[in-house]
Amino acid sequence: MAGREDKDILRSSKDLINQLSVVLRTAQIHDPNNVAVVSAVDRLVSIINTLLSQENIITLELRGEFFYLNDYRIRYSLEYLLNFDFLVREFKKRELGSVIFKLRIVPEDIKIFVKVFTESPYSESPFNTFEEKMTGVKSIEIGRLKKVVEEESFDVRKMVKKTYFNAVSYTKGVINKIKAGEKVHLKKAKRVVETMVDQILEEEQLLLGMTAIKDYDEYTYHHSVNVSILSIALGQRLGLSRKMLTDLGMAALFHDIGKMEIPPEVLNKPTNFTDDEWKIIRMHPVWGIKALLKLKKLDDLTVRSAIVSFEHHMNFDLTGYPKLRNPLELDFFSKIVSFADQYDAMTSARVYSRIPMGPDKALSIIMERAGTQLDPLLFKFFINMVGVFPIGTLVMLSTNDLGIVYESNQLFASRPRVMIIVDNKGNKVKGSVVDLTEKNVKGEYIRSITKTLDPNKYKINLAEYLL
Amino acid sequence: MELSEEIKATKDIIQAFLKSKKMIRMYPPNNPIYVKTLEDCYSKFKNFNYYKDMLVLKIKQNEILYDSEQVYSSVEKEDNLALFFFKDGLREITFRQGLTSEELEEFLKIISLDYDREVVDDDLVTMLWEKDFQNIQYIVDDAVLADEEDYEAKAVAELEEKATEEDDLHKAYEDAFKKEEEIKEVSIVPLTDNDLQLLSGELTKDSQDKIGKLNNMLFELLYIAETLPDYSEVIGFFMNSIDYSIRHGDIQMVTNVMAKMKQITDDKSASEDMKKHAKRVILFAGSDQIVSLIGEILDSGHEIEEKIFEDFIKFLDKSSIMPFMKILGELNTIHSRKIVIDALIFLGPKDIMTLATGLNDSRWYVVRNIIYILRKIGDKRAVDYLLRTVKHGDIRVKKEVIRTLGELGGAGVIKALKDCLEDPELQVRSAALRAFGNIASEAAKRIIMDRISDKYFKDKDFEEKKEYFEVLTRWKDNEVYNLLMEIMKKSTFWGRSKSYEDKACAAYCLGLIGNKEALSILNKFKNSSNNLLREYTYSAIHRLEHGR
Repeated sequence: MAGREDKDILRSSKDLINQLSVVLRTAQIHDPNNVAVVSAVDRLVSIINTLLSQENIITLELRGEFFYLNDYRIRYSLEYLLNFDFLVREFKKRELGSVIFKLRIVPEDIKIFVKVFTESPYSESPFNTFEEKMTGVKSIEIGRLKKVVEEESFDVRKMVKKTYFNAVSYTKGVINKIKAGEKVHLKKAKRVVETMVDQILEEEQLLLGMTAIKDYDEYTYHHSVNVSILSIALGQRLGLSRKMLTDLGMAALFHDIGKMEIPPEVLNKPTNFTDDEWKIIRMHPVWGIKALLKLKKLDDLTVRSAIVSFEHHMNFDLTGYPKLRNPLELDFFSKIVSFADQYDAMTSARVYSRIPMGPDKALSIIMERAGTQLDPLLFKFFINMVGVFPIGTLVMLSTNDLGIVYESNQLFASRPRVMIIVDNKGNKVKGSVVDLTEKNVKGEYIRSITKTLDPNKYKINLAEYLL
Repeated sequence: MELSEEIKATKDIIQAFLKSKKMIRMYPPNNPIYVKTLEDCYSKFKNFNYYKDMLVLKIKQNEILYDSEQVYSSVEKEDNLALFFFKDGLREITFRQGLTSEELEEFLKIISLDYDREVVDDDLVTMLWEKDFQNIQYIVDDAVLADEEDYEAKAVAELEEKATEEDDLHKAYEDAFKKEEEIKEVSIVPLTDNDLQLLSGELTKDSQDKIGKLNNMLFELLYIAETLPDYSEVIGFFMNSIDYSIRHGDIQMVTNVMAKMKQITDDKSASEDMKKHAKRVILFAGSDQIVSLIGEILDSGHEIEEKIFEDFIKFLDKSSIMPFMKILGELNTIHSRKIVIDALIFLGPKDIMTLATGLNDSRWYVVRNIIYILRKIGDKRAVDYLLRTVKHGDIRVKKEVIRTLGELGGAGVIKALKDCLEDPELQVRSAALRAFGNIASEAAKRIIMDRISDKYFKDKDFEEKKEYFEVLTRWKDNEVYNLLMEIMKKSTFWGRSKSYEDKACAAYCLGLIGNKEALSILNKFKNSSNNLLREYTYSAIHRLEHGR
């Protein structure tokens, strides 16, 4: 694609996604000759032909969880979030990976496409049926949904792991420098966060998976990075721009900076805190805002980070701490970071809460808090992001295999990819990852989750499996 | 295209980068040299892309490679393009065929920045990342980001060391068959249009300025401050916030902070320490640092609502007079100067003496502005300072000060103005005359009348004489009337034409005074053979008879 036209086409991609979704939804309700269907088809034809006048071929491709238009990823944004999700779901149902518009199209071509699209999911092999019935339409070609190649996936995993540990290492370094009163430059922090933003946009589940690995010895640094990753991922779901995601990730990375001021003997105390010690703990948002405001010259990012650091323990219903003389509505970023913070803290073994919760248990508590301590709107997005069985959840399968949730499935929340760690004979095994959406020849699911268990209760080292 | 040609074309592009880096720093975007440099660089890309879709440059510490061939090398620490890319982790840059001239310009602007300066907050990679180029891709080595070498390997090894015990796994497996553990009932909640609307509202709210919110938090910090260092720390944050707001042209935000600080200083229940520190913030808002920034904002053409600026000024202390006077001479636009002059008119009465120091400024226009401000303030305490300026070397200043003295009046003024009547410059003498008219005292009248009665008065130019008589009309009493009548009646033999001028002026003045008793004498001259006298007499009669 060429330069300036790229931008036009990317803008048009929104129209294409929206209109294709409108056509398919309308066709599911009405007869093909219904005026609503006809006018929606006409509009779609017009959009496609306009795009074809600029490009020779238009390819709409589903890769992983994202659509690409002529190799450019279409950004997930608020304007067409529902239509985007609808199309991803419907494409996957039909094993449909791409739709290629090669020649100028006419309404009749789209009508055939829509008819086949509507009928295909009910066949045994949806894509083959689809392909067969589309043979007569010369202007539209379709492609099968590509499975993620394991080897590629392995490389990506290595890259994600590198990003994660670089971030932890950087965070450790910067916190130690601040503690020592040394000057710190945040240029590197931005780079760290930008890399995480890119990976959330491309490999959301892999980076989210890294947050399930908890390191008690380096809790503070892992927690900061985890909260940053979870916040960026939630922000991405909320349709924030790359720039905003970076700001959010930065604010989240430094949200707990005030904890530097807590004396180590209090922070690392293995027993419960006294009232006086709690008073000290509750001061960390105040110390946090001060630390950030002293870090560098005031700019937009510092302002946002300082606000988040001050508010991340204040709740949606304005309870929490610090207590204010004049309470104000919470900042949007603070609400996001608060979600990420609570979830990661609940699922981590901290000094002052030695027994962490299983991810599913944490999620159910978060659900209880939605509407009081936590924003109910963000809860909906959060649950969509981490899935019903978040990565790291210990699960028993209907096949009597015990496994760990390895990757969530955005479309079938109850059917994630699971790594089997104990086989159905009770033997410890390592490695094989199964997809719970797999069906047998009768069209029945081969495996389903029957039970969840708390991995912490059994001292299961998630790093052993997820790294 | 042969490889050697590709290499040559690539080298040309690298040279164009080096040239552009210099030119972009030196010239503004509308300069023809800037435009030409950009066009040349772009044409070199077009030339390359004619044969090849992509230009991939591999970055090494001291060299740049194209297809394993060196296209640039340098061992210098400064001005080394390879090192410039390399040190931030950039290892490969790809320019795709679709590269637009806009993208190229943005790229060149980014590589032209001086990243060693404190003001550039981001590094090269961040700048490229933020632009999100469609046709420029790059590969970076993020190892530069890790603070500790081999951190990943060590951390992973440590994490994996804590292997799960087999017994624990078996226990988990056994427990999984027990009934008490059930799947938690959390389900995916579908998003609705209403959710999206709510989200849209959140995003709109989020786009609003955050500094107001930060200020509210700072006030919370101020309220919980206990020690002097606590107060000082928070006050420092407020100062930074004020600086930030002014840089963003948000004067209203600063006024809001000052209004709250004022409430604290007026609050009987607030501690003395808190009040003292609140006062410091108010003083800071009128400091050199902030007022200079205001000057920059004003000159940048940023629109500031008059009411907002007025509200801001109301909270300022007399200490802000000096900083405002300082920027007065530095501002480039009339509009900004007008705003600052208005500010000083408001602030000046708080310290006339400081304001008057502006009269010593070496720039005539500043002195004139200060005189204008003093006149608008109208405080007689300014007279002593103004009198020292009467002998200023610039006639524009002299005129301004004479006018001001005339409006303010006062003891020493008459003497100074009287001296001005002797000034060699007509404009100064005229200004002094008008000033006497403004003063309108008996002493002033006496001086004017004495001057008119002086035997040398007749030698002045007609226009100047006329001004004397005009000023005299401010006093419509008998003494003036009688003097005018005397002049009308006076007969001379020598210098008759000069006498006619005096009579014409007196006639003109009688008309303006409006005493109809003068008609009889005026009528005597209405047919005078002297044109000037006839004309002025006629005009005076007409004014007396018809009231205009």
